[in-house]
Amino acid sequence: MAKIKNLKGLMVPITDYPHMPYWATLEEAVVLLNFSYETAHDTILVFDESYKLMGVLDQKEILRDIHPGFSKLSPEKVSDKWEKLISTHNLDQLKKPIKDFITPFNIIIDVEDPVLKAAHLMLKHDIDLLPVKESEKLAGVVKMHDIFHEIAAFILKS
Amino acid sequence: MRSLLSIFKKIRFKKADIPKVSPPDRMSFKERYDCFQQLLADNNSILETQADMEEKLSGDYIFDMHYVDSRCDILVEKVQSLIENLNSLSNGEYLGLYDAFERINSGIKDALIKNIEIPVTDFTIPFEDVTKDMVRSVGGKNANLGEIKNRVNLPVPDGFCISSHAFKKFMDYNKLGDKIDISSVDTDSLVDLTSASKAAQNLVLNAGVPPDLEKSILDAAFELKRKAGHRAGGFYVSVRSSAIHEDTQFTFAGQYKTALNVAPEDVVSAYVEIIASLFTSRAIFYCKSKGFHVEDMVMAVGVVEMIDAKASGVVYSRDPTDEGKRGIIINGVWGLGKYVVDGIVKPHSYVVSRDIPMPILEKNQPVQPFMLICGLEGGAIDVRVPDYIRRMPCLTDEQVTTLAGYALVLEKHYGKPQDIEWALDLNDNLLILQARPLRIVAEKPSMPVPRSLPGHKILINKGQIACKGVGAGKVHFVTNDEELKSFPEGAVLVARHTSPRFVTAMNKAGAVITDVGSPIGHMASIAREYGVPTILNTEIAMKTLKAGQEITVDAINGNIYEGRIEQLIEAGKRDNTFKDTAVFEVLRGVLRSIVPLNLIYPEDEKFSPQYCETFHDITRFAHEMAMNEMFKLGKGAHRRKGGAVKLVVKLPLDIRVIDLGGGVENGSDKKITVDNIACIPMKALLKGMMAIEWPGPPPVNVKGLLSVIASTAMQPNSEKSLSESSFAVVSREYMNFSIRLGYHLQTLEAYAGERINDNYIRFLFKGGGASHDRRARRTRLIKEILEKIDFHVDRTGDVLDGRVTKYDRTSIEKKLGVMAKLTAFTKQLDMTLFNDAVVDWYIKEFIKKHYVE
Repeated sequence: MAKIKNLKGLMVPITDYPHMPYWATLEEAVVLLNFSYETAHDTILVFDESYKLMGVLDQKEILRDIHPGFSKLSPEKVSDKWEKLISTHNLDQLKKPIKDFITPFNIIIDVEDPVLKAAHLMLKHDIDLLPVKESEKLAGVVKMHDIFHEIAAFILKS
Repeated sequence: MRSLLSIFKKIRFKKADIPKVSPPDRMSFKERYDCFQQLLADNNSILETQADMEEKLSGDYIFDMHYVDSRCDILVEKVQSLIENLNSLSNGEYLGLYDAFERINSGIKDALIKNIEIPVTDFTIPFEDVTKDMVRSVGGKNANLGEIKNRVNLPVPDGFCISSHAFKKFMDYNKLGDKIDISSVDTDSLVDLTSASKAAQNLVLNAGVPPDLEKSILDAAFELKRKAGHRAGGFYVSVRSSAIHEDTQFTFAGQYKTALNVAPEDVVSAYVEIIASLFTSRAIFYCKSKGFHVEDMVMAVGVVEMIDAKASGVVYSRDPTDEGKRGIIINGVWGLGKYVVDGIVKPHSYVVSRDIPMPILEKNQPVQPFMLICGLEGGAIDVRVPDYIRRMPCLTDEQVTTLAGYALVLEKHYGKPQDIEWALDLNDNLLILQARPLRIVAEKPSMPVPRSLPGHKILINKGQIACKGVGAGKVHFVTNDEELKSFPEGAVLVARHTSPRFVTAMNKAGAVITDVGSPIGHMASIAREYGVPTILNTEIAMKTLKAGQEITVDAINGNIYEGRIEQLIEAGKRDNTFKDTAVFEVLRGVLRSIVPLNLIYPEDEKFSPQYCETFHDITRFAHEMAMNEMFKLGKGAHRRKGGAVKLVVKLPLDIRVIDLGGGVENGSDKKITVDNIACIPMKALLKGMMAIEWPGPPPVNVKGLLSVIASTAMQPNSEKSLSESSFAVVSREYMNFSIRLGYHLQTLEAYAGERINDNYIRFLFKGGGASHDRRARRTRLIKEILEKIDFHVDRTGDVLDGRVTKYDRTSIEKKLGVMAKLTAFTKQLDMTLFNDAVVDWYIKEFIKKHYVE
């Protein structure tokens, strides 16, 4: 019976993941995600000034914050013009710090834990990204994207 | 010869005191700052004095030996003071500069006194054997006559020289060097000087001439008579001085005796009288005050057959009032030539074409009522011009053409226009009595460079001229060292500010222009050394000029024209005969030990005292090191107890201020506010810091995993560094501010006073909390922004060292304002700098928001 790997090989080290201090603006977050597009990272880790992990900011949240009423529009009201999304008011939104829009993490996993445990926690908490600690320090994150890939490989092999 | 150097040392040269060594920790900030201030003042005096001396090299000024000498005195004093102050400031870190100083100073002294070796020659040397290379043996006048006779092959009166070696023999034989004692002479007392002069002259007059010298002189004099034997009349000679140090220390023109109409048997006593005349009170004053020994005065003497001149006068090989005219000018009178020179009578005058066959273009022959002739018993007497010649020209047309021909030959031989004295003897032989470079009237370009040239577009008409002249070429911008390497031959170097690094392009540059800079800075000095026309402080050159554009730089009137204007370039060419004088040569000589800058790159390992070859090197080195020492000052600040006052300000910084004097006004001992800050750079910085939005407080509602710290925070005591105080050491003009912000260390030092040479900003930035690559990205961001505001930045990984120097106070304040914003902007920005594209965005963002050009 094949033993399930731990998270070491699967984790994205913190240094390779986009992150920001909480006082960065939404605009800066847009910039950061835009320039990290090709890495396929689609969220930003947010820290306080002493590098304590505060939470995560994802793409949907950013869109919601740029245009708070956008998701509540009835479908026929959605314009075919970009300008409707980015009006002067929304530009002011862009200057707001991200601290009010981040989603805190409630759980953390250890790097020695098996991949399957990570999969379990993600399903249970309905999240796609899980922080990973090593020796009681934040070492990186694992993504559902990568965990699924591991699981898929196992399924296809058998 | 007794070593002049040792004498110099005793009198002129105070060995530097052992520096006031006190351990840096015990020496107060205030004491160190005082040393720094003095050093800045020394630095400025040195650069100003040096600039003034270099300016004299342009040839636009007449100066004497006293000028050169007094400037050297100032430099010696200031450079010593500079070295002392640096060593006080650094606790004796740079004692090697004393050796460098001594080395360089001895070079200057050698150049000043030209330390002439007196060649061993015969006591007398006939003119047949003399050329212009023999100045040290026979003096300038004799050497020149010998040159004309033997190399130019024109007729001169016959004669011989009594050599400088003979002079030494005379002095030594009588031990006059010891007997003429000026040690107790009070140089402030005219009475003392006069009596010392009298005493010295009496000693000489009563001294015995060594028998072999006497014989040599008499033999030569009678040989002269024998050779002249077939000529009519009694035989007489003139005996006159011919100085070795011509135009330098010991030559005080017109003070020496000349003996005319001397019979051969009287030449020896005439010689002694002339030697005695060397010891004037002025010469004694000079020896005494400068530490020379009387023996160092050397004189040769010329014995020349008296010409009983029928007519005499002068020839100018060009019109001295207008070099462009093609005529040779000849003036003459009946009798001796003194009346021409003194303008007593209206001379006959001729203008002769310089072009073959040299026709006489103009003739003017006024009637001459009086003439000067040799008296029967010596001297000259004034007589009526005899009737039979009174209305006759003093020269035939043929003689006029011959003289004009001589003038051209002499001009060609010496390579410049000549001023020639001639005489016509009783046998109608034309003789050359003297030839010297013609001084063109007004000592300025013959065709003055016009103040502005109609019909040509002036692109820039402001700035300060650092090196006079006119240059032209294509604009080549230099914004970094790479652009210097590829500098094209003949281009015009255009830069934002001056830099000694430009030395590498100076031999190629047609001209130099900068927006900012001081004519007394290092680069200005280099430009003058290379003679590159230079205009600084134009403010707008970088904006106004276009790369590759052809321009003409008139660094005489301060105009920059579009296009290449030959007329200006031609007018800018100057030839100054003064440049050939000995005093000019002395200036050039001493400047070789003063001006050239060898220590260009502070990062070079040769940037050290042992490689200092000039005072300029020492000065630059000391100024750089002094700034380094001051920069370190902030480091010790947090260890000090007391003296630091809390600054109450709405900034997320705990700032403590230590005042060195004038930096804080009317504050209490415990607390001050921004209004109490009088420090110019600190005020500018705080103003900028308060104008930008700082990161707000953390959200209250986010709990998250606050206990987990990212392992990327590199400092083990990171928590501590977040709460450390920032210390500012200030005076009115100076600030040294160590800012603790996030996880990096940032030291910002600035000097903003009224002299731009003193002003600078230095910025050191190090570390951060994020991973190394992100920290390095942040220093790249800072580097690029600092370079926009003219900093020269060295960066290695996450360490950045930037500086900007020599801007005026307002510019320094503006730059500090930008840096204040940069400080807030970059706080923990390393965290965000995921890749280079993000960095680029932040650079643009900063420039857009906070950088106003």
